[in-house]
Amino acid sequence: MAGAEGFVEADNAEAIIIRIEHKSRKIESLLKQGKPIEALKTALEGAPPKTQDERCKSANWIVVHRALMAIKDVDFMFSSLDPEYYDILMKVYGIIFVLPKGASFLEIYQFSVLRNGKNFSDWTLSFVPRLKRCGYTALKQQSRKSPVLSWYLYRGLSTGDRPTCDQCLRIHEKLTEKAGLGCILRCLADTVNTV
Amino acid sequence: MAAIAVHQFAQCITCHAWSPDHAMVAFCPNNNEVHIYKLIQEKWEKLHVLQKHDQIVSGIDWSVRSNRIVTVSHDRNSYVWNQEGSEWVPTLVILRLNRAALCVQWSPKENKFAVGSGAKTVCICYYEQENNWWVSKLIRKRHDSSVTSVAWHPNNVFLATTSTDGKCRVFSTFIKGVDIKEKKEGTSSDTKFGEQILQLDLSFSWAFGVKWSPSGNTLAYVGHNSMIYFVDDVGPSPLAQNVAFRDLPLRDVLFVSEKMVIGVGFDCNPMVFAADETGIWTFIKFLDERKTSSSGPKYGSQFSEAFGKLYGQSKYGVGNDAVESSRTRGGTHVNCINCIVPLREAGSSRITRFTTSGLDGKIVTWDLESQEDLLNYHL
Repeated sequence: MAGAEGFVEADNAEAIIIRIEHKSRKIESLLKQGKPIEALKTALEGAPPKTQDERCKSANWIVVHRALMAIKDVDFMFSSLDPEYYDILMKVYGIIFVLPKGASFLEIYQFSVLRNGKNFSDWTLSFVPRLKRCGYTALKQQSRKSPVLSWYLYRGLSTGDRPTCDQCLRIHEKLTEKAGLGCILRCLADTVNTV
Repeated sequence: MAAIAVHQFAQCITCHAWSPDHAMVAFCPNNNEVHIYKLIQEKWEKLHVLQKHDQIVSGIDWSVRSNRIVTVSHDRNSYVWNQEGSEWVPTLVILRLNRAALCVQWSPKENKFAVGSGAKTVCICYYEQENNWWVSKLIRKRHDSSVTSVAWHPNNVFLATTSTDGKCRVFSTFIKGVDIKEKKEGTSSDTKFGEQILQLDLSFSWAFGVKWSPSGNTLAYVGHNSMIYFVDDVGPSPLAQNVAFRDLPLRDVLFVSEKMVIGVGFDCNPMVFAADETGIWTFIKFLDERKTSSSGPKYGSQFSEAFGKLYGQSKYGVGNDAVESSRTRGGTHVNCINCIVPLREAGSSRITRFTTSGLDGKIVTWDLESQEDLLNYHL
């Protein structure tokens, strides 16, 4: 039974990879035509559903990353992006900011100071206490059960290069301003859609 | 001003309930007691202290017609309090739970009450005349996690529950000898006790605070992912609407009319949601006018100060609310609101006043009459 499930997962993964490759080609052609917003929309649409397959996740991240880095004018991006994309866009941060496992909130804070300077840490500072008040410390204990929920998986900041971090922080600041803390909470709570 | 009365009763209030004439208020000051206060000559005076529970009282409901108080607690028991003379006399109700009781509500006819618990069960309690005893009947093996809230349908049979497994469910609580079968209603005539009528799987995270609209046609509940859900046509083919909002999650909701809902929660400020002519629900506004900060957090200058604050906190283990953005300061509530109770006028179906209580120990009375922009929705 377990073998059959594993087979389905692998089969499914192949299909997802093919779909992502197709998406990637479409994005490249949109970027060549000078339509970065269209490219980002395409990248955000049809994220692979619940999959634990690392290949799918990183393949999808490469595509989203490509589209994200092509955005030059963040204000223009938000004026032409529908609010329905906000929640998906926020999920990008679930991948970018991956912290060491088992980190406490204070450690997350210190980590963000080390990595990114004050812009990001100020954000953590204002956000983390409120999050804590909503009981999100409990997630840490739950994380063994539902690994997707572990919001301190802030991998990318340790692997991501400086331009990526800068671009992501710039977009994140505007996104939080536009979509509010509710958007972050939805992203944290979402166990079904992975980016 | 929407808030017409504010009173600090305690350090923290877990729940509160009003007497039928709204002259007295019963609340739990975050311990094993229930305090009853009365407004005598512009001053709140403590009249009674109900002491019987061993642990924190998590739910209080005061019945309107029979003037009885039901309390539930983390000690897994429930008491029904009857006023005899000037005393409140408790009757123990054995719920048969192995985890804390979390919430309680009298049914509309006041012949039953429902208790949600951490034991993944719901207790339906009713009075047996011949034994002079409250009997608890359990709905077992239906919830995958704690039951956070219960709400009675106006027909006295349907019960909606929310749970930390993220689901909202509707059950039949028909009890032979207590409820009378109504032949007219096609939907409820053939349901047995404990039968699940509906399961809604809309939320990805914990669900809290469920309520029915006054007519029982619409159901509203909230998720811990900053979403509120509205469900019409509760039955085989329900119609659901998910409304996402930009602020911190809600804990409880209240229908003030068929078309307007008040939500309270972690943002310390009641939110108003309303349906337009086509039945589409949207966020309208915050009820409390708060002093808004000029912009988002300022970078740089405040940084080192805030850094010190954070360090001080973690060292000395002070509460984590010292670092707060300025928008929650200056509001009527200064901490999470977890309880909202209507103040129903006798003979009127619409609600213009309600009270909220929360972790800051205040009970705040709100009035919607003065809110002219909301009159359209508030029929």
